[in-house]
Amino acid sequence: MTSVFVPGPVAPEPVALLRSLAGAGFEVGPARSVERTLLDTFDGRLHAAGIRLELRTDAGTRLIVHDAGPATAWTPVGAMPSVAGDLPAGPLQDRLAPLLDVRALMPTIGVAARVSSAVRRDAEGKAEVAFAVHDQLKLASGDPIAGPWAIELESFEGYPKAARQAARLLSSLGLTRRDAGLLDAVAEDAGVDLRGFVDSPTVALEPSDGALDAFRRVLANLAATIEANWHGTVADVDTEFLHDLRVAVRRTRSLLSHGRGVLPAGERDHFGAEFRWLGTVTSPPRDMDVYLIEWPTYVASLDEASRRALAPVVDHLAHRRKAEHDTLIGHLGSDRYRALMTAWLAWLDAPLPGGPLPKRATKPLGAVVADRLVDAQDRLLTRGRAIGPATPAEELHELRKDAKRLRYLLECFGGMLPAALSKPFVQRLKALQANLGEHQDTEVHTAQLTAMAHELQDAPGVTTDTLVAIGRLTELFDRRRLAAREEFAARFADYDTKQTARSLAELLNAARP
Amino acid sequence: MKVLATYSIKGGVGKTTSAVNLAREAAAAGSRVLVWDLDPQGAATFFFRIKPKVKGGTQRLVGAKGDLVDHVRASDIGGLHVIPADFSLRHLDLHLDGTKRPTERLASLLAGVDGRYDVALLDCPPSISLASESVFGAADFLLVPVIPTTLSSRTLYQLSEFLAGQQSPPALLPYFSMVDGRKRLHRDVMEAVRSEWPDLLTTVVPNASVIERMGPERAPVAAYAPASAAARTFASLWAEVAARLWS
Repeated sequence: MTSVFVPGPVAPEPVALLRSLAGAGFEVGPARSVERTLLDTFDGRLHAAGIRLELRTDAGTRLIVHDAGPATAWTPVGAMPSVAGDLPAGPLQDRLAPLLDVRALMPTIGVAARVSSAVRRDAEGKAEVAFAVHDQLKLASGDPIAGPWAIELESFEGYPKAARQAARLLSSLGLTRRDAGLLDAVAEDAGVDLRGFVDSPTVALEPSDGALDAFRRVLANLAATIEANWHGTVADVDTEFLHDLRVAVRRTRSLLSHGRGVLPAGERDHFGAEFRWLGTVTSPPRDMDVYLIEWPTYVASLDEASRRALAPVVDHLAHRRKAEHDTLIGHLGSDRYRALMTAWLAWLDAPLPGGPLPKRATKPLGAVVADRLVDAQDRLLTRGRAIGPATPAEELHELRKDAKRLRYLLECFGGMLPAALSKPFVQRLKALQANLGEHQDTEVHTAQLTAMAHELQDAPGVTTDTLVAIGRLTELFDRRRLAAREEFAARFADYDTKQTARSLAELLNAARP
Repeated sequence: MKVLATYSIKGGVGKTTSAVNLAREAAAAGSRVLVWDLDPQGAATFFFRIKPKVKGGTQRLVGAKGDLVDHVRASDIGGLHVIPADFSLRHLDLHLDGTKRPTERLASLLAGVDGRYDVALLDCPPSISLASESVFGAADFLLVPVIPTTLSSRTLYQLSEFLAGQQSPPALLPYFSMVDGRKRLHRDVMEAVRSEWPDLLTTVVPNASVIERMGPERAPVAAYAPASAAARTFASLWAEVAARLWS
C-alpha cells in the first residue's frame, strides 16, 4: 500500500529530509533515475476496475499491478505491453485480459524523477516501512509539475504501527498527505482524467427541453465521439476505435433521420448524405476486423486438420484487412472528411439559426421523442408481423435496421428517460436484435466465404484441403443462418407482446412532459 | 487461488528451500503469493526475516474464529506475503483435532484469502499426521522434493500409495532435490525413479553451496545471487510448476 506526501511551505529540501530520515534510523539508499508510466485503455477500463497498471523503469523495466488487495503483483518485462496477449502468461494476464478484451494499452500519465529510498528495518532486518523520495519530478513529456518533489510512503501488510509512525514523522516535517497514489496525484494536477474517454450516446436532457436544441446537443456529443476516436482509428491502435467511430456515425445518421420537422431540411439532407458516405467507407475494414476477431470462435467446432488448412484464409483476411484499413486512412485524412467534420461541428456550435424554424423545432423534446418512438415501434411491428417462412431475407435485414433506429432513439435520448423504464424495454429489443444480427451476419459470412473460395482457388499455398475446409465453414455458417431464421418467429413473438406495449406506454408517459 | 504445498514425509530434503525460492519466483512472474509456514521450526519465516510469532498462538490461527488475514506479514519481496510460524505450531494436530472438520480446516481458512492472492504455498513439516491430511484437503498440488537416494525416493512411493486411498487427493509434482551429479547412486536412482514417474518435473535442484548461503543471507537465492545457476534452476522449476497450474 502506498500513499503520497507533498511538501508544504515549511518542509525541508529533499537532501535535508533524507539526512533527517537517516538520523531517525532509516537506511537511505543512493538516488537513481526512475520513469513511471500508468497504462490503461482509451476508455479507462483498468481505472474503472480499481486497478493501476504501472510500467516502471530503473535498473530494469517492471510491470506493476496495484489494486485494492494487500499484495502488489509485479514482473519484469522487456517492453511496454500493447494488448492482453503481450502480458506475461499466468494469473496477471488472467486477471487483466478479460478487462482489456480487444482494447490496447496506452500510456495515460508518465513521470520521471531521481528517487532515493529510505527504509526502516526491525530487529530481524525486515523492512517495516519505506519511503521513496521523488526529487526533480517532471512529466515524461519533460514539462515540470506543480510540486517539484514528493514522497511515496510504502506501508507493509502486518506493520501498521510503523506506517503510522512514519506518516506522523512526515507530517511533523511539514509534508501533507494526498488522498491518492503518486501517479494519480500527478495526473490530477496535470488535468489528466484517468477515467479515460467515456463513450455515452446521451447527455443530460429534460423532456421540456426545446427539441432542436436537444437534438443538437446529442449530435454534438456524438460528433465528439467521432473526433475522439479518429486518431486511434487512423493509427490502428485497436479495433474498438473504428467500432466506436462507426457506432457514433450510425447514431448520428439515425438522429438526422429522426430529426425531420426538428432539424432544418437543408442540413439534414446535406449532412445525412455525408455521414452515409462516412458510414459506407468504414464498413469494409470493420467487416475484416470482425472476421479476424471472431475467427477463433468461427472455427472452434471444426477439427484440427480443417483449422490448419484454413491458415491461408486467415492470411488472406489479414492482407485484406490491411488493404481496407489503408483505404480507410485515405478517407479519414481526406478533404471531404475534414470538410464534413468542420462544417458539422461549426453548425452544431453556432447559435440557433434565425428565421423560420422547422415546425417541431421548438416543441418539447419529450413529445417529439415520444412520437418518434411510436413511429419506430409501429414500423418495426408492421414489418415484423408480415414476415413469414417464405419472406425474402432482405425483409429481415430491413427489420434489423428498424430495430436499430428504435434502439438508437432510446439510447441517444436516454438522458431524459428513467433507466428503470428504458432498461427492460431495451433488454427485450436486444433479444430480438441478437436473432436478427445472427441471421444477417451468418448470411454475409456465407456469401463472403463462397466468394473467397473462388478468389483463393489458384492462390499460392491454397490446397484442396483449404477449399474443402472453406466449404465446411460455409456449411456451418449456413446452418447457423437457417437456425436463426427458424428461431425468428419465436423471438419476434417474444417481443411482440402486451408486456412490450405496456413497457413502451410507460416510457411514453415518462417522456411526454 | 492455486494452493500448493511443499511436502515430504522425510525431513531435510529441501522443502523449505524450495518453498522460499519458488515463492520468490512466483512473485517475480506476476503472482500475488502467500507463503504459509506450517513448520514449528519456522525456517521459511526465518529466511524471509519475519519475526517468528503466531499472533495469539496456533489456537487462534486455526481455531473456530481464526482468520488468516490477521496473521499476514509482507516480506521484503513485492507481492509476497507470509503467515509466520512459531513453536506453538508443534501443537497444530491438537488444535486441528479440536475443530469441527479437521481435515477441511486449512482449506476453509485459505478460502478466506481467496481472491487476495493468486498462489498460496504451504511449507509443511515432515510427517504424516492430521495436519498433513488437512494440507492434502487444501492443496491442489503437492510439490515433493526427492533426494535421489533409496530412502528418500521410497517416501515418494509411500506418499503416492497413501494418497491413492484418499478422496480427491492433490496432484503430485515430484522433482529431484539436493542432487550431486558426481554420485553414481544419485544418477542411478534418478534413472530408476524417472522410468516410473513420467510426470516428474524435469528441473533438478542441485546440492549447491550458493543455496546453503540462504541461511546467513536470510533471503531466496535470487535476492543475493541472481545470476547463479541455482537461481536459474528455481526460475525454471517455477516455470514448470506454473505450466501445470495454468495449463
